Amino acid sequence: MSRIKNPNDVMVGIVLVAIAVFALILAWHLNVGTVDAMGPGFFPRMLAFIEIGLGLAIIGQGLVTEGEPFERWFPRQIFFVLASIAFFALTIDRLGVVIAVVGMVFVACLARRQTRFHEAALVAVGMAVFIVLVFRVGLGLPMRVWPMGNVY
Amino acid sequence: MDSFVSLFHGLFIALQPGNVVYCLIGTLVGTLIGVLPGIGPLSAIAILLPITFYLEPVSALIMLAGIYYGAQYGGSTSAILINIPGENSSVVTCLDGHQMARRGRAGSALAVAALASLFAGIFATIVITLFAPPVSRLALMFGPAEYFSLMVLGLIAAIVLAHGSVLKALGMILLGLLLGCVGTDVASGSLRMALGIPELFDGIGFIPLAMGLFGVGEIIRNIENEHHQSVLEARVRNLWPSAEEFRRAWPAATRGTLIGSVLGILPGGGAMLSSFAAYTIEKKISKEPGRFGKGAVEGVAAPEAANNAGAQTSFIPLLTLGIPSNAMMALMAGALLIHGIQPGPRVITNNPEIFWGLIASMLVGNALLVVINLPLIGIWTQLLRVPYHLFYPMILVFCCIGVYTVNSSVLDVMLLMIFGFFGYMFIKWQCEPAPLLLAFILGPLMEENLRRAMEVSYGDPAIFVTRPISAVLLIAAAGCLVLVLLPAFQRTREVAFQDES
Repeated sequence: MSRIKNPNDVMVGIVLVAIAVFALILAWHLNVGTVDAMGPGFFPRMLAFIEIGLGLAIIGQGLVTEGEPFERWFPRQIFFVLASIAFFALTIDRLGVVIAVVGMVFVACLARRQTRFHEAALVAVGMAVFIVLVFRVGLGLPMRVWPMGNVY
Repeated sequence: MDSFVSLFHGLFIALQPGNVVYCLIGTLVGTLIGVLPGIGPLSAIAILLPITFYLEPVSALIMLAGIYYGAQYGGSTSAILINIPGENSSVVTCLDGHQMARRGRAGSALAVAALASLFAGIFATIVITLFAPPVSRLALMFGPAEYFSLMVLGLIAAIVLAHGSVLKALGMILLGLLLGCVGTDVASGSLRMALGIPELFDGIGFIPLAMGLFGVGEIIRNIENEHHQSVLEARVRNLWPSAEEFRRAWPAATRGTLIGSVLGILPGGGAMLSSFAAYTIEKKISKEPGRFGKGAVEGVAAPEAANNAGAQTSFIPLLTLGIPSNAMMALMAGALLIHGIQPGPRVITNNPEIFWGLIASMLVGNALLVVINLPLIGIWTQLLRVPYHLFYPMILVFCCIGVYTVNSSVLDVMLLMIFGFFGYMFIKWQCEPAPLLLAFILGPLMEENLRRAMEVSYGDPAIFVTRPISAVLLIAAAGCLVLVLLPAFQRTREVAFQDES
């Protein structure tokens, strides 16, 4: 690793090239058309090629110019914050908003070791009540409140 | 004079009870998130976007705009009292504002900040009233080639004034444009890069993208480094600046207002750039530069006036040309698009009630903000004690509910999670995601105008340089790019942004 001068640039470059190649594969079958009558594939393909070029240039820049080392990543925080969103996504349609909100608050609170149980419980219940009152009762938005409840 | 008649009509709209309430809510929320470090106006507006879906378009914009300039007021409070900028554009206010507070002049610093902002807000409203209508008339003469070139200029200029590596910013722009391609192609009706997922046929949602990149990414970032804040215990007394302070502050506030009004209009400009520039210039022209950093009242008045003026005038390019000049304006564009209003020169003629209502509401909002900030300062200092670890789960819940309720789409919530991870990743790799959002908003328009321009010219790309306005715009874009790559300019740019990191 010591030979790479700016690892941040190199990583950004790699990710951009990877995304551009993926986009190119997805857009490959689209009709490119001609310059005066562009098909749906023209713009995406042009962008993907430029992006690959830019990505390679960023990798190159990271190899030759000095930069800061990687910042530390915090797996616990990343995991539980993203997991709380996933929990909401997986439960909202079937189990309703109360379980989804209470569950996601608890999962989110796990991201921080020192948060106490009663603190999390207080926020969870408070948020569930607030959300149901404002969004379901107040604004009348379609969402299930309890597992067997009606959507409307 | 016509413009002022329209402004008067706008005032009538802005003063309708419902709109005053939304203006009040906006400015309150803005002050709140401005005061609280750790959540900026960008994430707050991203989070509140879905709610505006249920409001009248004019009320929605009044509220969102209130959050933006309200945050400029609130940000100064935490900068002055606890030496932590509530949001980016208050970074320089910390330097002298907190020093004033340490010398027992906290009340005076807060009052100078609020009054300078009020003055700047009123001035910026007049600037918008005078300049927006002619610019929009000019823009109506634009053809597809001019529009394409204008958007190229907008995107390139956004890089120049942003900080960090130019190449990475360009990479983010291209990524945004690519993400904008996902979904049904308007011209041919064929599906592009939608992975066969029906929810993606209409394209990637703007809300999960913006909220993920700026909301969720920031939250993870904030909880990993918990800093313990020291609230200045001294009570805020005596809000009135002394005669001496007043004498020093008002010319600085005037200069700051002018700088902010100009820089806000530039592509890539806005509140943050304005406040940095105003502080630097104030220090340069001062007869006693040694006082800066030790509690000089000019160092509070100038940047606070500038950031408020810049926040407001940055609406001009959005509402007249349809080009958002920074990420915040991209969110405003998103709010307009949600309501089926295409930001651009036609807003003034087709939706005058929105345009003038919004402009006039800035007068109302600025007046409200002085009341919210000065007499109620005690409440806001109390709020600085709310621990972030109870706050972030609530923000997450609002993010999820907000994203979900727009389309009742679980996929959008999953996208929120994915973009949240990307947001975090880009922050960690020192790559600013703001240009991505700009490009995502402009992408479909850019493609449409590119295709139309090429059709008009029978495939001859020379159309972009033979049409004079288009050529000028492209030369300006090329100029920006050359400028930013020049070593001398790069050094200045680094110096200008060093305080921020």
